[in-house]
Amino acid sequence: MGSAPSDGSAGVPLAAFKVLVAGGFGAGKTTLVGAISEVRPLHTEEALTRASVGTDDLTGVGNKTTTTVAMDFGRLTMGTHLVLYLFGTPGQERFWFMWDELSFGALGAVVLADTRRLGDCFPSVDYFEKRQLPFIVAINCFDGAPHYDPEDVRIALDLDPRVPAVLCDARHRDSVKQVLITLVEHVLASRIKNGAGAAAARSGSQALRPKPPKGSHARPKSGAPQPELG
Amino acid sequence: MPAGDKWVDRNAGPVVRPYALTGGRTRPASGTVLDLITVIVASSLVLGPDDSLGLSPEHRRILGLCRGPATVADVASTTALPLGVVRVLVADLIGQGRVTVLAARPAGEEPSTAMLKEVLNGLRAL
Repeated sequence: MGSAPSDGSAGVPLAAFKVLVAGGFGAGKTTLVGAISEVRPLHTEEALTRASVGTDDLTGVGNKTTTTVAMDFGRLTMGTHLVLYLFGTPGQERFWFMWDELSFGALGAVVLADTRRLGDCFPSVDYFEKRQLPFIVAINCFDGAPHYDPEDVRIALDLDPRVPAVLCDARHRDSVKQVLITLVEHVLASRIKNGAGAAAARSGSQALRPKPPKGSHARPKSGAPQPELG
Repeated sequence: MPAGDKWVDRNAGPVVRPYALTGGRTRPASGTVLDLITVIVASSLVLGPDDSLGLSPEHRRILGLCRGPATVADVASTTALPLGVVRVLVADLIGQGRVTVLAARPAGEEPSTAMLKEVLNGLRAL
């Protein structure tokens, strides 16, 4: 266990970990978080940035300088002192200031993919690659959605071969549990393989592809025509 | 108020501007921004019932929630206050010695391999 200092007023030191759950709108992020943990609301009040100008309807609130972001997070307690926090990242690009905050010191991330709108998770994959935060791709098997081989999804997403891509059902606790286990195993495996310099070696995926120009994505943006699968 | 305006209900959020609760401060007095999962706990310094007389109701509420270890995210969620406001108020309490940070690791640092193995075992045992 880590060296949590105790000042005597606390019993067992609490060890908290952050996991990000990213993916396009409607990919099932909230469903996944709710399937395995107690879901709680979180509000932030943030300064309006230029990014939200023209997006937020400011009619009648001309002096408004802050905007409220409401998001959910899951709290998963394991044993007496381990707590895993699952944060569903707000999808829209104007909330990316929250992503930086959420990924700060995070254990890793799950990118939830919906094969009907695979392009929606390109920005998440790009973001975690750039941040060098370990992530896995979980393909949510929706009813009625075409089922694909995870390998095809991996190719379509241009994933590093070391990044696990797994099928899941975001509604089922055991499936979500398996996704989280896969993530932690992946984080551990990449550390062992890479020795101490985990972060340095993780960036190896960057070399496979030309570095995207600043401010743009290597993959087509969400909303762009989807790559063909299969 | 124009006749067309509707009364706001609870879902509309607080009527008081959030940062009124902090006296307009949007940054913690210490300058250090607490991470969402920073673990805090009320310190044993808190003495008799008069001790919290100078505190705002929000400060007192936060103090009550930190009797046992809690994260900043827990406190923000339970109080339904915006995260930025909670950070300022918690920093006040830390500055006064009423709340202590019980960080298992420095904010922003990746979890150690030993910790990850514990998490893995915890998940498998679910």
